[in-house]
Amino acid sequence: MRNGLLLTAILFFVVLASPTAGESETALLGDESDGSRAVAVHLLELFEEEGEKIFPDDDPLLPFSVRQTCGGTCHNIDIISKGWHFNSVDPNIVGGRAGEPWIFVDAATCTQIPLSYRLWPGTYRPEEIGLTTWQFTLLFGRHTPGGGAGEIESENPDEVMRGFVSGKLEVNCLACHNASEGQDQSEYAMQVARQNFRWAAAGACEFGAIKGAAIAQPETYDPLMSDDIAVTYREDAFDPKNQVLFDIVRDVPNERCYFCHSTKVIGGGISEKWATDEDVHLKAGLKCVDCHRNGLGHNITRGYEGEEQVLDPSRAALTCQGCHIEGESPAGPVEGRLGAPVAKHPGIPTVHFDRLSCTACHSGPWPGRKTYSVKTSRAHALGAKNVNKSDEALPHIITPVFAEERGYSSAYLGGLLMKQSEGKIGPHNLIWPAFWGSMEEDNVKPVAIDIVRPIAGKIISTEDLPASGDWPSVSEEQIAEVLTLLSSEGTVEGMPVYISGGKLYSLDDNDPNQLSQTEHSAAEAYLWPIAHNVRPAAQSLGIRRCEDCHSTSEGFFFGRVAIDTPIESEVKCVKEMHEFQDVPAFYTKAFAMSFVFRPMLKVVAIISCAILGAVFLLYGLKALDLVMKILAGKD
Amino acid sequence: MFRTVSIIGFAVVFVGIIIHCFARPCGKERRWGAVDILLKGVHLFTLLFLEQKLNPAGVLRKLVYLLTLLCFAVLLITGFYHPLVSDEHLSGFLLMVHATFSPVFAVCLAVLGVMWAGNCRFDKNYWPWLQRILRRQAAGEVSIEKYELLRKLCFWVILLLAFPVILSIVLSMFRLFGTYMQGFLLEVHRYSTLTLALAAIIHTYLTIRSQMEE
Repeated sequence: MRNGLLLTAILFFVVLASPTAGESETALLGDESDGSRAVAVHLLELFEEEGEKIFPDDDPLLPFSVRQTCGGTCHNIDIISKGWHFNSVDPNIVGGRAGEPWIFVDAATCTQIPLSYRLWPGTYRPEEIGLTTWQFTLLFGRHTPGGGAGEIESENPDEVMRGFVSGKLEVNCLACHNASEGQDQSEYAMQVARQNFRWAAAGACEFGAIKGAAIAQPETYDPLMSDDIAVTYREDAFDPKNQVLFDIVRDVPNERCYFCHSTKVIGGGISEKWATDEDVHLKAGLKCVDCHRNGLGHNITRGYEGEEQVLDPSRAALTCQGCHIEGESPAGPVEGRLGAPVAKHPGIPTVHFDRLSCTACHSGPWPGRKTYSVKTSRAHALGAKNVNKSDEALPHIITPVFAEERGYSSAYLGGLLMKQSEGKIGPHNLIWPAFWGSMEEDNVKPVAIDIVRPIAGKIISTEDLPASGDWPSVSEEQIAEVLTLLSSEGTVEGMPVYISGGKLYSLDDNDPNQLSQTEHSAAEAYLWPIAHNVRPAAQSLGIRRCEDCHSTSEGFFFGRVAIDTPIESEVKCVKEMHEFQDVPAFYTKAFAMSFVFRPMLKVVAIISCAILGAVFLLYGLKALDLVMKILAGKD
Repeated sequence: MFRTVSIIGFAVVFVGIIIHCFARPCGKERRWGAVDILLKGVHLFTLLFLEQKLNPAGVLRKLVYLLTLLCFAVLLITGFYHPLVSDEHLSGFLLMVHATFSPVFAVCLAVLGVMWAGNCRFDKNYWPWLQRILRRQAAGEVSIEKYELLRKLCFWVILLLAFPVILSIVLSMFRLFGTYMQGFLLEVHRYSTLTLALAAIIHTYLTIRSQMEE
């Protein structure tokens, strides 16, 4: 008893003494709802990054800091910054199902490599190709709401100095929650490209404008001493109390999500945006955030099946099944939320629900005989200014690939733990990694891009780079020459290799001028499941007939998946879809062909039942006749 | 659940047959030597042959019966392998073999129904107690073969269960029933098939016994 009290007392004092206790995890004024669904008016004073209040007549006029302005007394940014959009750099965060990676592209070195801080299998950490967090932010911060890598101080001394000039790319609440039509994320992307991290949020909002670029300033630049980079606020932005009205909404508008989550499918005969449809949920009046919900922690529900096993169980209600499939919870029936039609699936054998995800039939573009290409906001900087609008621009992402899900990581604490997949087949986007690496004991690591660039530049001329942003056309001999240079200059530990199109290329042991190619796990395609756009039930796979999938001429099993590579001799290669589904090719073909006989099976079975029915009827009537005779007293 | 019920069902039937074999062996003497068992095996094998005394209808009847038995054996193995061994639903190549033989089995059952139904009618002499209640005399003394009543009963049970077995699967192929009913139809198929299989095993055993004892 005494020991228990002593321990409690010690723990109490330890908690009190902790500098962050009761501070970083405390909900502030605006963090706890009183139940009102009305939107709070955000008439706010602006604060710069050091916490000093901004007045319109300040000289120099500094950009407001979202962290200070929103987070001072109203919202706990420390809690919010642990949310899904900001926490990728935290190794202790549950990564969940594999998602869209950041894709580093460099056509000059024939490189497209999936990167992620989340350790999704098949992706590489940015530092493996030599990208620091600061460089990563400069490349990809354009399509983030700030935070994450943008708030980490670089360990590179040169970049520390650059960091003083550029500032940090803070968590930017406005990127999502500013409903003003003036919120310009393409301007945000522009400011990031100019290294104006500190100014990006102010430049993107409806009342701020930035001149100058940090990228053009020396490392000794001091924003307090110079106005080479300057912010101006719209004259009428401040009220007499020097407050600014923000059009902040709790439910993020779809257009805000779209800046980072748009896709453009190329192929299938549709090239114009007006000819494509949005997700059926949006057309029904829902918002993205109706399903992708979050609390103060901003740990947004991704909505995939099994997320509730990795995170909290309540997420099960926000999956497809949560709204569309009949079920019960202690609180009552769960189906039909938000007016969702309850799925009946007439005529669909139940085995489909064991083997297929909902998205297999309902999401993504209708599969053709050959896969399409897709451009995504994050991979192709869609929505940013001066973006390459060519359909051939790298990276080359292929869709839809019906593949067996590879499982999802359940934790990264002290190592990667994998939760076994349920093996469901669903639509995926796919990218074939292409990069220069070094192999030691069958383990391939990418070579830093700064090492590769000058060497590859000697062999692959930049004049050969197509204006479309496509791969340059590269021969096997050129690959061999680059590998020889990488090997001879001693800059690469281990054996230099080139990964592309699902194959590993290395110099032939017998003839060092020739390439040998093998299959290798590092060369495997990286796939991530797609869930949108959801098509209506009337356009789901199988709606016409079973042969929408079970046919040797349809895309679901026998679609040709393009193999993407800059190597001329391999450009036309394809794989068949079933190779990604862990099903034997012969069985799949035989099973698909058996559907030719299915109508006959039905007819034969029904006729057999009719004959049996006739036999029963005949002898049943005879038995009835006998009973009637007996009851009538006749023998 | 289905796995447990199936195992119990098959165990009860097979144990019952074995007990019956030992309790009432074929022939007058109870001999279980190696030669006797071999002879019984050969005898069993000869039952597959077509007797010379059969007329064309009888030949057809026997051929259809043998084909039905073959289909039954294939469907039994393919249908129960996954549920009994790995407690999973039927899938893969076994499913394809199952689906290939099932229409043949359905046709055979229909033909057998037409050909055998007349011979498998129940006679009022099977129920002397009913005759006594109704104070009636049997029309004539009809000799009843050994196991005849049970065999006929099994025959009609098989024919009756053929309806849920076939229709549950065929109807699920049409766009009539949703997910819940699809699941229900699958369960109907599984349990009616199990019952049909047990009845067919008993029927086959009794047929063999009566043939061997002739």
